[in-house]
Amino acid sequence: MLRLQNLTKTFGVLTAVDDVTLDVPTGQMLGIIGRSGAGKSTLLRMINRLGDATSGSILFEENGDAVDVNALKGRALLNWRTHCAMIFQQFNLIPRLNVISNVLMGRINYNSTLKSLFTLFSPEERALAIRALDRLDVSAQALQRADTLSGGQQQRVAIARALVQEPKIMLADEPIASLDPRNAGIVMDALRRINREDGITVICNLHTLDTAKKYCDRLVGMKMGKVVYDGDPMALTDELARDIYGVGEGGEDEEFSVAVTSTSLGQKNTATNVRRMRQ
Amino acid sequence: MSVRLENLTADDVRVERERFPRVFSATPRELALRWLVWGSTALILLYGLYHFGFFSQRFIHGFTKLSVMAGQLFPPAGWQYMPQFLHSMAETLAMAFLGTLIGATFAIPLGFLASKNMFPVRVLQFGFRRFSDVLRSADYLIWALIFVRAIGLGPLPGIMAIAIVDTGTLTKLYSEAIENIDRRQIEGIRASGGNWYQVVRFGVLPQVLPVMLSNALYMFESNTRAATILGIVGAGGIGFELSDALRAFEFDRACLIIIMIIIVVYFIDFFSKRIRERFIRGDSFQQGAEESVSLRVGS
Repeated sequence: MLRLQNLTKTFGVLTAVDDVTLDVPTGQMLGIIGRSGAGKSTLLRMINRLGDATSGSILFEENGDAVDVNALKGRALLNWRTHCAMIFQQFNLIPRLNVISNVLMGRINYNSTLKSLFTLFSPEERALAIRALDRLDVSAQALQRADTLSGGQQQRVAIARALVQEPKIMLADEPIASLDPRNAGIVMDALRRINREDGITVICNLHTLDTAKKYCDRLVGMKMGKVVYDGDPMALTDELARDIYGVGEGGEDEEFSVAVTSTSLGQKNTATNVRRMRQ
Repeated sequence: MSVRLENLTADDVRVERERFPRVFSATPRELALRWLVWGSTALILLYGLYHFGFFSQRFIHGFTKLSVMAGQLFPPAGWQYMPQFLHSMAETLAMAFLGTLIGATFAIPLGFLASKNMFPVRVLQFGFRRFSDVLRSADYLIWALIFVRAIGLGPLPGIMAIAIVDTGTLTKLYSEAIENIDRRQIEGIRASGGNWYQVVRFGVLPQVLPVMLSNALYMFESNTRAATILGIVGAGGIGFELSDALRAFEFDRACLIIIMIIIVVYFIDFFSKRIRERFIRGDSFQQGAEESVSLRVGS
């Protein structure tokens, strides 16, 4: 169980994340929605400790032990980062390295610095990396340079890298925002499968509602750093969704529709989409 | 089918090795090539050192002489010449500054003319590129010697030498910067109906100006160092004082001049680095800063 308590992060006078308290049970697929700037990325980055919290605490409880994530330093901090793998919107692969080397980056913390600097990964780790690529259906590209792959393939390589970290939590920061609907669907299916089959907790920032509703066990809505919704995806009404996305306040999202989609091609659920758009 | 290291058997590893042999080990050819490259590099180095006498008695004895000379450097002396030294130092700085300024100014139009994407007449573009190669192919020292012969002693030949080499070097750097620009910004201007001048002004200049300024500043930095050497061949400035002291075997006076040069070069480096950082920064927001900016826009 991951417990966030009164978590706050400020940048100067701006409060990006404002007093967030959340309990995420092990094995849950949690979606965080909200418009850009709502503090979703900042929240995820705090969990991985890429950014430090201004106040509040992050506790990770497992087998009766509780780890105070904000207090971790040195070796323990690096281990924590390995155990909560991060997936980025822009994939954050190393373009000039081949796919298999990129996946093996997920093993660096399991090897001594010297070994990893000379890329001396064990045969078992190499086999593991191939298996991870197999699972995401990109093993055929194993020896290609990462920058020769399409966006969807690159994101799957990034997920394979996260997988070989053998994480307990996977944090996905807008994993499909740079992808076309078909690839977005493949990536979300993969995350969902990893969540179900491996029991890895997945926390996923999304900005489209239909994707969040389709894939997540639970939704958290954020607005200006605060949690404004926390509950069942199906219980999220259009009214609440409008509030989360701030429609009618900024005036820039006048065309907001809950049917805005990023993972479906529109053919399967045409009836529901049309019905939603008419509303 | 959870992927975990502990679940992998030796059989699994064998199967994967058969599927993807190159993931597990380099091919014999790659290995041979790697050894060839490293081996021949080491061989060339060792032979070169041997050939030029690094392992000889003469080289080892030289160190004892060096230590005697080092002793003669201290304490620094010649403080009574300080006003003259300061004047020479100012002359050196002026040489570096004017030379760089002239070079950078000429390099801007030449940079455009020498870049493939901005100047489509390939023969002329190629010609400008080679012209800049010629300018910087000879070192400052050689140009300075030529100009000292032609127009006599003093800072003027030094300024000329620096301006010529800088025109060549900066033309090359500028044209490469122009060739590496982001094409999308040009397309944006072109799609709005912009002509060549408007494309250059709004699609290219905003991208390359920071690079140009920071390159010019770096050249000024390195020219301050180069200008001290130019004095030795008669182009005036602090280098002239230094060679004078060394020729008279007054190592303590030379030491004072060297200390002055180190201090000045350090300050120039420091300020130039600060200014260059200011130009380069501004496009590299951190993730957090980015989010706070979008928050500001959103709220």
